[in-house]
Amino acid sequence: MSKIIPESGYKATFNKITAALLLIDIDAPSYTILDVNEAYLLATNTTREALVGKSVFGAFPASPSDEDAKNIKMTINSFEQAIQTKTTHTMWDYRYDIPIRGTDEFEERYWTTSNTPVLDDDGNVSYLIHSPANVTELIKLREKEIASVEAIKNHRQQLYATFMQAPVGIAIFRGAEYIVDLINPTLCGIYGKTVDEMLGQPVFDVLVHIRGQGFDQLLDQVRLTGVPFKGQAYPASLLRNGRLETVYFDFVYEPYREIDGTISGVIAVATEVTEQVTAKQLIEEAEERARLAVDAVGLGTYDLNLEAGEMITTKIFANIFGFDEPVPWADYVRVFHPDDLAAREEAHAAAMRSGRLFYEARVIWPDGSVHWARVEGKVYYDAGAKPTRILGTLLDITAQKQAREEQEKLMALVADSEQLLRNITTAAPNGLWMSDEQGKITYVNQTWSDWTGLAYEENLAEGWLKAIVPEDRQRAGETLLKSLNGRSLYEAEFRIHHIDGTKHWCVATGKPQYRGDGSFSGYIGSCVDITEQKNLQQQKDDFIGIASHELKTPVTSIKAYTQVLERMLLKKGEAREAGMISRMDGQLNRLTSLIGDLLDVTKINSGKLQFNDRDFEFNDHVKELMEDLQRTTEKHILIADFHPTGTVFGDKERIGQVITNLITNAIKYSPHADRIIIHTGIKNEEVSLCVQDFGIGIEEDKLNKVFEQFYRVSGDLQHTFPGLGLGLYISSEIIKREGGRIWVTSKPGEGSTFCFALPLKTNI
Amino acid sequence: MKKIMIADDDPGILDAVCIMLEFEGYNVTCTPDGADVLKLQSDLPDLLLLDIWMSGMDGRDICRQLKQNAATHHLPVVLISASRDIEISALAAGADDFLAKPFEIDDLLGKIERNLAG
Repeated sequence: MSKIIPESGYKATFNKITAALLLIDIDAPSYTILDVNEAYLLATNTTREALVGKSVFGAFPASPSDEDAKNIKMTINSFEQAIQTKTTHTMWDYRYDIPIRGTDEFEERYWTTSNTPVLDDDGNVSYLIHSPANVTELIKLREKEIASVEAIKNHRQQLYATFMQAPVGIAIFRGAEYIVDLINPTLCGIYGKTVDEMLGQPVFDVLVHIRGQGFDQLLDQVRLTGVPFKGQAYPASLLRNGRLETVYFDFVYEPYREIDGTISGVIAVATEVTEQVTAKQLIEEAEERARLAVDAVGLGTYDLNLEAGEMITTKIFANIFGFDEPVPWADYVRVFHPDDLAAREEAHAAAMRSGRLFYEARVIWPDGSVHWARVEGKVYYDAGAKPTRILGTLLDITAQKQAREEQEKLMALVADSEQLLRNITTAAPNGLWMSDEQGKITYVNQTWSDWTGLAYEENLAEGWLKAIVPEDRQRAGETLLKSLNGRSLYEAEFRIHHIDGTKHWCVATGKPQYRGDGSFSGYIGSCVDITEQKNLQQQKDDFIGIASHELKTPVTSIKAYTQVLERMLLKKGEAREAGMISRMDGQLNRLTSLIGDLLDVTKINSGKLQFNDRDFEFNDHVKELMEDLQRTTEKHILIADFHPTGTVFGDKERIGQVITNLITNAIKYSPHADRIIIHTGIKNEEVSLCVQDFGIGIEEDKLNKVFEQFYRVSGDLQHTFPGLGLGLYISSEIIKREGGRIWVTSKPGEGSTFCFALPLKTNI
Repeated sequence: MKKIMIADDDPGILDAVCIMLEFEGYNVTCTPDGADVLKLQSDLPDLLLLDIWMSGMDGRDICRQLKQNAATHHLPVVLISASRDIEISALAAGADDFLAKPFEIDDLLGKIERNLAG
């Protein structure tokens, strides 16, 4: 029989029970708290006084989390349900944060609360037992569990994604048929298939052509023995993109073990290394080619192990040293030319420091012949910077050496001849120069520099013109360009500022030069200091000028006396004596004429021949002159063959002098003829005059010389004809200065025709 | 009788020309010194023959001065020179005529007659 618990005992039970309980009146909407037990006060951090007699919603105002949880609405709803159904209504796992006493903070709490109606005797609901259970821990635990499940799921997905996206090919083949259980696109790509084509199929059914290449045996071996297989640069023939290709793999076959340890398949991990293999093959081929090339150019190669003192050499290396086959290092060293051993030692010592070996040395072959070898090499060092090895090449440079020696000899010869040439040009008493095809000076010799005081460089291009006095400078430069354009001989006279402080006269000449291919390359020329000649010439001209002028004075008085005497004698009637005096006067006229010629020549030479140009009737003037001259000869008849000429603009006296000279000559040189024809006329804008004689004529080779200064008829007739040989020279100079031309045609024994032509010009 | 004055520093020429002109019937005054010409005050000649290059004197300068002087500017002046080239400068100096040495006597007489008449 069990103990009877007194009524107060239930009260105690109510207070001591661990479940939090709250008794609530059903006086909606207030739902006044009727009582509360200790557990409740503990769970909610409140006091009895704060709760009893208060509305449940007033005692527990909305907490911050209510907004979302809508706890009040839910609680009212639960109360109503319980009252209505008269059965317990439970609110599961809702959040209701409670205040932390003494602070404004709230603590996160989860609750499962039941509202149980208590019926009165009539069966009506009297009040509700409100019992919240703190399920916070439980809820937290459940959340963690969900989170970890989710994480595992994510992890698995990541793994799968990694597997599918892996740059290495991965697959699992199951069973003896090697059905593709799993395969990633990378491996499918290697196989040239799609994932769909592969999945669930026996691998050798899909890749038919791979059967018999040894992979099935390898898979069997791994599956049956459990020993993994690793293949490197393993070749396989695969049908890809419709072509059978040889591809290379690095791969691993791992056994696939079930949980119980049994092997149910094979995991394959593979990467394609075709490119690397191909690249390696290319490198090997390149190396082979390089080796062949080295052999082809006769390069010997060597590998010298400095620690062991051993040297590996190629056959060509041995051949260059005069051996048929490679020999030990010491044997090679022995055949070096004794004179080159020191240089070799030096080169080796230097190589240890610089890392590069280079020297050229002679070797003596067994037959005694001497050959040159060039040794090149690279030094290799160990971690302690100690040289351990030299790798390099050997080249027979005997032919090169010989060629170089020849070249050096030639160069020495060229240098010698250059020096010789320089010495000659420096020693030359003349300036020497060269120009390019544009007329720019490219060379002057030391003599020119010595004259002008201009350094070599200062003369280059147009620099040389600085040496020339300003009055002559432009003409000197222009003459060169003019000659250059015509590719003709250059000749110019000019004055230079000589280093001695005076002006020196120079005559420069140059000859056009042509290259081997015939193209014009410029000028080479010289320059002669003619100051001395010029001075002498000047002195001569001055002397002749003064002398002839001084001669005129006595001649003038003699002539005056003679003429007075002639007149006196005539007046006295002494005709014979007067005649003699008259002939004396004639000789005086000849003397005057000679003096005049000499004076004219000095004027021409010094450029002082003066012209007094004006218009005159040409034919009239010729006629007057002919009349005068006709009086001097009884033997010849001067015949006029005139055509209209009109007026000529020129120096009447000087042109008359020319006509007189030509007619006088015609008379003089046709002693056996009786007529001289003078032709005039206009042709091609020129007024021309020709004096035709029928005399002795001129040899053809002398024709052009007759207008030269001091030219005289040579040979047998030399002494027959008097004169200084100046007349035609003066005539040609006068005509040239008047802008005309003078010429002669002649036939020995038949006569000569001297002509001149003047351009038709009038005084504007 | 026409009066002619001759100035030439060469005594030979001066003598010969004086004889010649006297022979031809002129009243001739001869001087080897050109400065004498400028000293003329009265008894002026009818014509002057002047050498251009005389020692110490230039015939052209004398001519120029004569031509600038109102008393003498009307006198005909014939300049004579051994150089034909100075004919232009002689005429520029105011000379009425020019004669180159050595000359034909007929030329000299012709020029004298022409200028006396002009």
